[in-house]
Amino acid sequence: MTAPPFSETRSALLDVSNLKTWFPGDRGEVRAVDGVSFSVSPGEVLGIVGESGSGKSVTGFSIIGLIDEPGRIVEGAIKLEGRELIGLPQEELRKIRGRIISMVFQDPMAALNPVLSIGTQIRLALEAHERIGPKEVRERAIAALAQVRISEPERKIDFFPHQFSGGMRQRVAIAIALLHRPKLVICDEPTTALDVSIQAEILSEMKALVSDLGTALIWISHDLATVASIADRVAVMRSGHVVESGPALAVLTRPQHDYTKTLLNALPSRASPGELLLRSAGVPDAAPPARKEVPDDVVALGSPYLVINNVVKTFAKPAGLFARLQFGLAGAKPPSASNAVDGVDIVLNRGEVLGVVGESGSGKSTLGRMAAGIIAPTSGSVRLAGQPVMSSGTMPRKVTTRIQTIFQDPFASLNGRMRIGEILSEGPLAHRLISRGEAPNYVRQWLAAVGLDPGYANRFPHQFSGGQRQRIAIARALAMQPDVVVCDEPVASLDVSIQAQIINLLIRLRSELDLSLIFISHDLSVVRHLCDRVVIMRRGRIVEQGAAEAIYARPQNEYTKRLLAAMPMLPRSVAGLEPATGPL
Amino acid sequence: MSDTPFSRFLGDFRKNKVATGAAIVVALIVVLAVIAPLVTPQNPYDLAHLVLRDARRPPGYVGSAGYTHWLGTDSQGRDLLSAIIYGLRISLQMGVIAGAVAFALGALVGCAAAYVGGRVESLAMRLVDLQLSFPAILLAFVMAALFGQGRSQLILALIFAQYAYFARTAHGAAAAERQKDYVEAALSIPLSPWRVVFKHMLPNSLPPLIVVATVQIASAISLEATLSFLGVGLPPSEPSLGMLIANGFQYLLSGRYWISIYPGLALILFIVSLNLVGDQIRDQLNPRLHR
Repeated sequence: MTAPPFSETRSALLDVSNLKTWFPGDRGEVRAVDGVSFSVSPGEVLGIVGESGSGKSVTGFSIIGLIDEPGRIVEGAIKLEGRELIGLPQEELRKIRGRIISMVFQDPMAALNPVLSIGTQIRLALEAHERIGPKEVRERAIAALAQVRISEPERKIDFFPHQFSGGMRQRVAIAIALLHRPKLVICDEPTTALDVSIQAEILSEMKALVSDLGTALIWISHDLATVASIADRVAVMRSGHVVESGPALAVLTRPQHDYTKTLLNALPSRASPGELLLRSAGVPDAAPPARKEVPDDVVALGSPYLVINNVVKTFAKPAGLFARLQFGLAGAKPPSASNAVDGVDIVLNRGEVLGVVGESGSGKSTLGRMAAGIIAPTSGSVRLAGQPVMSSGTMPRKVTTRIQTIFQDPFASLNGRMRIGEILSEGPLAHRLISRGEAPNYVRQWLAAVGLDPGYANRFPHQFSGGQRQRIAIARALAMQPDVVVCDEPVASLDVSIQAQIINLLIRLRSELDLSLIFISHDLSVVRHLCDRVVIMRRGRIVEQGAAEAIYARPQNEYTKRLLAAMPMLPRSVAGLEPATGPL
Repeated sequence: MSDTPFSRFLGDFRKNKVATGAAIVVALIVVLAVIAPLVTPQNPYDLAHLVLRDARRPPGYVGSAGYTHWLGTDSQGRDLLSAIIYGLRISLQMGVIAGAVAFALGALVGCAAAYVGGRVESLAMRLVDLQLSFPAILLAFVMAALFGQGRSQLILALIFAQYAYFARTAHGAAAAERQKDYVEAALSIPLSPWRVVFKHMLPNSLPPLIVVATVQIASAISLEATLSFLGVGLPPSEPSLGMLIANGFQYLLSGRYWISIYPGLALILFIVSLNLVGDQIRDQLNPRLHR
């Protein structure tokens, strides 16, 4: 069943009805979009929200006529100002694309051509639909860059994409999308790859731009909070259907459909810290196998345990002739040897969850890898219960098994050529935590403890979903019976409902096993939910640290304040803040 | 388990008819080469069996021993069909042994260099680059000239000329794998360097190495044939395909084409088939062609 379409405004700019886009698959057709209807009025912002595989991006691509073979639009209508777009020849579509409807993609590096200057790319985009002279091209290009708040547009117009940061590149992509004053812009996860502070800037600028230009906007995202902060109306998608749609405030504060409720309740920002999410979804009943022996140097809960003392990590600069030439030609300075982590002291108490928060390039991951003994610090030391975590010498190696790591991307962190049983038992066997005879049972116990079928031991990683893989990765780390676990963005690449399950699992296992966690994340709401203490990092240094509540309530440092302010927030369901009633 | 990566690989392979045909040809040649003493009417290396009266006879000639020489005989009265099958046997031996040792050596050097990193890596890979800058045939020539004639010397020369290709490929793949999270996860446990290299980095670096292996075995075989043709390969008492071609070369203009042409055709068929199989494996293992 499909949800009823949006309010039938007579002046709808875009009217999509009963759209079905299918892709042939190994086991029959994959109905990526299966009967979606909505409309967008001029100047309106429609947010399309959904988890991966919900069909939200395919909907966007269908509108702009970019469905690749063998996918096809099976039925339905896409009317732009009353004109049917489905079935138009490519020639006609090209006249519409970029001029009347334009699109902004998630990855600005992939969307811009790396070998052409920004100015050239803008010129090509202009010349696609207009005949204008070189002088006017330059003026228009500079104006377009200024419009998206790129400073010194006269100079930057000759830059190449690699000379811009990710946020700047996305601004350029937006500038190109807005060149011809299109009537509709489709943005597909445009801020997902960006840091929160950049995301906040782009959100507010985008909002101002579309209202200035009167452009309608379709904002596709998996993130309810960003959609809430930009969209007038919201459509929630799940497996090819729109399950709920309506005014943004109404949908996000008084959701009607169960799925929307699940999505909202899965967000840690809507629960009290430490609480299990989604009524303890995904928490297994089975207890993890008991630890064989507890080392005698384990300190009491709450006492200093892992001590990181003044660590510095320097990565060598590119010093070759080629690197120098490359930067010389581009007119930029070569990056000097910079300290990814520049003198950080952290004390992790036993049983504590310490959040490490920072934007990309803050050095938080490098710090985590040093804390876990994966890479050696250039100087400084990491000690667990007084013992160094890595051996010294020219080729330092990790010497303790008591610190383990959970990585961000569960598709990259499992060796695809090993069966799950081997992945889980390899470390414990190598370190004689278990004998060969005990291994199968040990593996089964751990699979059950992370909420997976114990019979999965013979499968390969590719047979599992992202959330299941992350459970396996957690089991692998905990099967080593560690005291400290470094979690490097363990939920960043997961859908919200899966994220909630993994957070629940971490909360439960942590308290059962008395683990101390270092939780590295860019997501402030997840950190607030899980962490006792928080460290804010910027450019390799700690700018502020303290108890989680204190930092969130009363940030002292300017950067922390900015970071917290940039955090996209969902509207709270507050009495008196009800939306105007209207046809849903 | 029917859904292993290997079974899916085989299923995909069968979809390409040409490659499947080539794989069958390779398999046939391998079987023929292995059971050569059982199927050939004559042992071409046993000089006592050679009858000089039967030398340089055309295809179809019934020799003095009573059986038909389907592909004719060479200048010493060898049955050419037998000589070709034995020649393929030698070629295969040389190619596979040299290929396997070069594979193992190169994979070890490449993966270890990628794991260790730093100056050791740079030094090892520059040495490999240096060696790659010489043509393989030149290296093999020098080695063959230094060590003299004979099977083991020739294998040594082939290994030396070829391991650098494997090392280069293994290093490229392993250096990419080294950066991946699952290797960091193995280091985080921590597993021993040997285990990380052999159990984690090497298996994941195998696809490009397998592709190089099929091409390099083919190239080892043609290198051996070339060296034998030029007279620095195997001794004349054990003619490989290269030497058969060389021996027949002088009779080519006198119309006795079969002494050179048939061994040449056999060599071409074998190498082309190997390359077709290698191409298909490469296409299947190329991640860019999937998703």
